[in-house]
Amino acid sequence: MSLSFSTLKVLDAARVKVIEARFDELTLEIDGTVYKGVRPRRPFPFSYPEIVIFYSDKEEIGMLRDYRELDDRSRELLESVLKVVYFMPKVRKVLSIRSVEGKYEWRVVTDKGEVTFQSWGRCVRVLRDGRLLIRDIYNRAYIVEEPEKLDSRSRLYLSMMI
Amino acid sequence: MSRSPEEDSLKLFPSAHELPDRVKSFLNDGEEVVAVAVTDLVGGDYGEEYVVLTNDRILVVNEKLAEEVPLSKVTAASIRGYINTCVFSVDTDEGSRSLAVFTRGRLAAFDKLVTIINNLVIGKIPYNLLKEQLLSKVQNDQARKSTRTVMVKLLGLLKPISLLLVATIAVAVAIRVVGLVPPYLMKVLVDEVLTKARADYLPYVIGALLAVNLANTALNTANAYLNTKLNVAVTNTLRGRVYRKLHELSLTHYDMFGSGGLWSRIIDDTNRVQWFLTQAFIPLFINAAMIVFVGATLVTMNAWLTLIVLMPIPVSVVGNIIYRKTASRYYHRLWRKWSRIVSVISDTINAAILVKSYGKEPEFERKFEESQSEFERAQMDVFKFEQQIWPAVGLAFTASSLLVWWFGGNEVLKGKMSLGTIMAFTSYMWMFYSPVFGLIDNVRNLQLLVVAASRLFEILDIEPDVRDAPDAIEVELKGAVECLNVWFTYDGIHYALKGVNLKIAPGERVGLVGPSGSGKTTLAKLLIHLYDPQVGELRYDGIDVKKIKLSSLKRQVAVVLQNPVLLDATIADNIALGKEDARPEEIIAAAKAARVHELVMKLPEAYDTEVGMQGSRLSGGERARVALAAALLKDPKILILDEPTAALDALTEDEVTEELERLTRGRTTIIIAHRLSTLRFTSRIIVMENGRIVEEGTHEELLKRDGLYKRLWEAQLKGLTRMSGMEAESGVSEYVAQLQHA
Repeated sequence: MSLSFSTLKVLDAARVKVIEARFDELTLEIDGTVYKGVRPRRPFPFSYPEIVIFYSDKEEIGMLRDYRELDDRSRELLESVLKVVYFMPKVRKVLSIRSVEGKYEWRVVTDKGEVTFQSWGRCVRVLRDGRLLIRDIYNRAYIVEEPEKLDSRSRLYLSMMI
Repeated sequence: MSRSPEEDSLKLFPSAHELPDRVKSFLNDGEEVVAVAVTDLVGGDYGEEYVVLTNDRILVVNEKLAEEVPLSKVTAASIRGYINTCVFSVDTDEGSRSLAVFTRGRLAAFDKLVTIINNLVIGKIPYNLLKEQLLSKVQNDQARKSTRTVMVKLLGLLKPISLLLVATIAVAVAIRVVGLVPPYLMKVLVDEVLTKARADYLPYVIGALLAVNLANTALNTANAYLNTKLNVAVTNTLRGRVYRKLHELSLTHYDMFGSGGLWSRIIDDTNRVQWFLTQAFIPLFINAAMIVFVGATLVTMNAWLTLIVLMPIPVSVVGNIIYRKTASRYYHRLWRKWSRIVSVISDTINAAILVKSYGKEPEFERKFEESQSEFERAQMDVFKFEQQIWPAVGLAFTASSLLVWWFGGNEVLKGKMSLGTIMAFTSYMWMFYSPVFGLIDNVRNLQLLVVAASRLFEILDIEPDVRDAPDAIEVELKGAVECLNVWFTYDGIHYALKGVNLKIAPGERVGLVGPSGSGKTTLAKLLIHLYDPQVGELRYDGIDVKKIKLSSLKRQVAVVLQNPVLLDATIADNIALGKEDARPEEIIAAAKAARVHELVMKLPEAYDTEVGMQGSRLSGGERARVALAAALLKDPKILILDEPTAALDALTEDEVTEELERLTRGRTTIIIAHRLSTLRFTSRIIVMENGRIVEEGTHEELLKRDGLYKRLWEAQLKGLTRMSGMEAESGVSEYVAQLQHA
């Protein structure tokens, strides 16, 4: 017996319009029906970030296989919300890691600017595709997209933490 | 980019100078600022915005007034959490409105803000009362932060053993001072006795050496004794304090730290404090004393040579600092690589059935190989690293000792210095180095001591939140239970109860049903005052539960929670929890009522059977029934049963339900159940959904209403009828008839 996919409500990107975006919420129009207070969620935030499921009041509206197929305006609005919901600085450079009181204090340069944060000892996770995920003491995540392309000093610092 | 530290991101009733100017400019005359929370994000980028709660409005201020919501329009405030970010939003009559976004680092601050807002708009707590509470909290926090440092507090804790502490330090210093004497006696021996051939001095010098050795032996014995005694005394004092504190904590704190967290604080942190105290605090005095004594001796012997002695110290201090900084990373990595090997092995053993049934053996073998070679590499890195530092530092010491011999030797040859002096000098030189390094170590360990101690104080400084009010009273309960607009949240974000109003008459038996997560168990826990609601009141016989002595409440209210935990004791002990000095007959009667007697009697040791840690030697159903027996033995006025029959098979469930019917007559009883058939004898059923009471009535009334209860009822019947192949329709009526005649 093969799995039934009928429970997946896949939306046609051409019929989905994003009308408004605010923080983590959207107003959508699908085939003329307007949905307010819609929250987009990525089922696979790391492995398939292009897939998005829309929720309104816990009710699933449907799934986009690739949100990038939306028209430009809709895509921009959706991306502005995804930027808030999936805010995750990308580490470009590790400036220093020093140990303070049993924790590690990181100074890094990210795509969002220079950041200082503290982590516990076991804080770097290697994702399946080789990217690195650093978690700080508040459980905030920072991602290293292509660790092998960082400068040698940054790589040295990271290698000590893996 | 500089951002305000996470701890300071919420200000309660800020003074005028604490308030940013741009916020001030948007305030109306006479408007009072209750709280200011600072975000660390603006949209999807780092930045700062102020979320300001006043007595009248909620404002969001960046360069301009970005948002403004009158408090009168707000019905609730909440936070939605994502991977890294959280969105703060308020519900108004016109729907939900998001106001600000921040990272999880600011969650604690916004959490408090949300609770304050909800207390005002949902709890309708009078503004002046709230203000009073918050202001007293602000003062407390300030007092705690500023006046007492961790070290002072720690020494305060250790006051009962201060004499022991001082004695240990004194003896340890004495040992070191006595240790300074032999090199001096050697100098006398060489210079005065041997070189000058004064045989008459020899017995005195030898005698002095013997005396020094005897004193040393005696002091060492005393030292070992005192150390052992001090270690035990320190741990016992600290662990005792933390353990006693455990009982004062409410379950909210248990949830906050997690059982593992509390566990490690009692066991590990007290050990750590003891270790650092004996390894850092006491040696600090010893090493400081040694540096002074030995340093003074060296200088009086030869000031110039002393300068040479000091030469390698900067080199080795720098080497030490580099080592400290880097070594922890290397060793930490080694430890992580090691734990990876352990985790592969434990996965293989614990998930053996998964590994084998999916044929994942090759993958695991590969993982294991990988982790082994990673560990090997990490270990070689540690070796290489160590080889880079220590030989260089060692060389500096060798160089300086050679220089001492070179210059000192020349002085001796020139006759400016005696042979005995240079010999004693070199002995003292090595005695000087070790306390210097010791001191560096001590200072570092002292920091770790402060860290470990402050973890202890995190627990010790908690003000117990659920405890007897000073005016709490003993009450003989009649059994009326009342919930007035009860709101409760475990984490400050999600409200498990949202304005529950409930009134139960003395002796009434009510059922509580609803989907999982609807708040039933939370309500049960609040009723026995394990937690305090954030908003609202629970009353027994019209008295606020906070005004009833906990001991009085616990004597008269019994609760059996889902998946009950038992103590590591015998079955009899666990049942007798309900009543001190219970007679054997009473225990058996209670067990019979809970339908566990037959089972117990089948065990060779019957009621004297040890149940193991948390009752692990009994099955879920057996544990549930032992807990039920304990509750029944208590003969409570009010009985709260959370899924009493969940872990039982259908036959036993039926028996227990029948027995419950008899036992609960005349007692106020609240039964939480998924299986609705358990509720057949209750006079009223309360249906909860999403933290609220949505329906209320008798079984028949609720079925007529066509609401959630009917859906739950039908879903259960459907399961039954499908199984027996009955038609759904006829099945329903048949089953209902069956139940009504039961």
